[in-house]
Amino acid sequence: MPDSQIEVENLTKVYHVPEREAGLTASVRSFFRRTYRDVLAVKGISFSIEAGEIVGFIGANGAGKTTTLKMLTGLLQPSSGSATIAGFTPWERQPAYLRRISMVMGNKSQMLWDIPPLDTFRVLGAIYGLSSVEAARTVNELVELLQMQNLLTKPVRNMSLGERMKCELTAALIHRPEVLFLDEPTIGLDVSAQRRLRQFIVDYNRQSGVTVMLTSHYMADVMELCNRVILIQQGKLIYDGDLAALSQQLAPFKLVRLTLNIDDPVRALRACLPPDAEILAGMNGDITLRLDRTKTAHIIAHLLNSLPVDDLSIENPPIEAVIDQIYQGEEVL
Amino acid sequence: MNHRGGWALIRSTWLSWMEQRTFFFLVAFGWMVPPLIYLFVWATVAGESTVGGMTRDAFICYYLVLSFVNQVTYSQTNWTVGDMIRMGDFNRLLLYPMSPTYNTLASEFAGKAVMLSFVVPVILGLGLLLRPEVALSPAGIAAFLPTLLLAWLLRFLWGYWLALLAFWLTRTDALLALQDALVFVLAGQVAPVAVLPGFIQTLAVLLPFRYMIGFPVEVLLGQLAVGELLLGFGLQVGWLLVAWILFRILWRRGLRHYEAVGG
Repeated sequence: MPDSQIEVENLTKVYHVPEREAGLTASVRSFFRRTYRDVLAVKGISFSIEAGEIVGFIGANGAGKTTTLKMLTGLLQPSSGSATIAGFTPWERQPAYLRRISMVMGNKSQMLWDIPPLDTFRVLGAIYGLSSVEAARTVNELVELLQMQNLLTKPVRNMSLGERMKCELTAALIHRPEVLFLDEPTIGLDVSAQRRLRQFIVDYNRQSGVTVMLTSHYMADVMELCNRVILIQQGKLIYDGDLAALSQQLAPFKLVRLTLNIDDPVRALRACLPPDAEILAGMNGDITLRLDRTKTAHIIAHLLNSLPVDDLSIENPPIEAVIDQIYQGEEVL
Repeated sequence: MNHRGGWALIRSTWLSWMEQRTFFFLVAFGWMVPPLIYLFVWATVAGESTVGGMTRDAFICYYLVLSFVNQVTYSQTNWTVGDMIRMGDFNRLLLYPMSPTYNTLASEFAGKAVMLSFVVPVILGLGLLLRPEVALSPAGIAAFLPTLLLAWLLRFLWGYWLALLAFWLTRTDALLALQDALVFVLAGQVAPVAVLPGFIQTLAVLLPFRYMIGFPVEVLLGQLAVGELLLGFGLQVGWLLVAWILFRILWRRGLRHYEAVGG
């Protein structure tokens, strides 16, 4: 019996997909003889997550995130490997397991479209076998936390996306799950709705101790919510650790911002920098340099000695830039 | 089994469909049109004499009852099952601690409740307007109810197993359209089975489609001899078993095969 809430070992999924070329002839041919191709979507990933953690699960489109989540929520049978969540094997789909988890999909709704959310919440309460008192209490708590009192009697089809997302969260949490899977929960939301949703997730996690596994393409979500990220690339786990360290460890360069007290700073810099250093000129004489991480200290010492530097700061590149490089498959490791 | 959840789902689906009742009334009206056309065609053909032993009044009764039976047994939900599997909406249902079949049954019952609230008054109104002479026997009525229930189950499960082929095939609606075509010819819609020509009549009696619509109508109107009734009942139950077995097999194997398409 593992101690962790989520224990994944060597999880692998191979899809067996039909393949055919475009056009009528190919279509007729494939009718008589279908050809298949094996696609290795998830390649032996392993990790474990403690109860109460919020973990960001990130990777490019097609990296295998959704496939992994589908296996962990019991929608897909893996080709090999094992997973234990809250003591259950997800793909056995035991009702007791399904009552312990929940999933919010930013691009799919579980609300009934034409009737007020309160009706959907009642149905969900019944499906999860809650007494009506219990269900009402949880709904009230969530309504309070999400400040959605005014939405309870409004048909879902008349709601904005932000309003609907609040309902989706209440619907997903009505049975007080132990593990919550959030698949792109902030997709399409405006900046302040995103911020409120993140705040809610943090508060709720602190209050209830729910374990959260989150996928998102917005780094702001990941930075604010997750102390830890699991990064997968082409089906393989390539990083598991904290986000700040990811950027330090994986970014091959540093950004140096400086202000020089001379007339033509760019030309002066060209003269004393190595040829592979990039100069990104900014406004008002502010200049940003992109320097090879390993040579940064050396170059800066040289600059300070040879040029009239007014101000200088060294930064790691924004996480987006680092992630972008990883997604594009550039060698950063 | 999670009956409480299932029942709540039926109730809320019904609530949500009542919000769209005009749509469902129009759909129900659309389904009523063909039987009504056959009603008038056959009533006119029969005129003052009989066709295949049926009088004008017998045709009117037959088609009025058939409109009702058709509404009760038609499974509009089967059309959405295949789509849900293909588009990935099925995922949502698999996350609940409850069989996804409840969802199908919920829309099935809710749809019937909404549509029948429109269809029954229309049929009664037409009955009053056309005033056919009809003699219903208590035995006919008693036998009608179970055969109607079985007819619905048979049509529902037959369509369901076809729809479940969506686990393997991309589009199963063509199969459902084929089923509708067979129902149209062989279930007593275009003409009562009694007036079909020899070879087609034999087919109609042996294949499952008559037991989805025509059979309960014939039972209620007392058109069958005892032997015919028993044979029909046996065939209805037999085909229902076949549909049930196919449904179970496809369901189990399908879920295993399911590749959870889409987000």
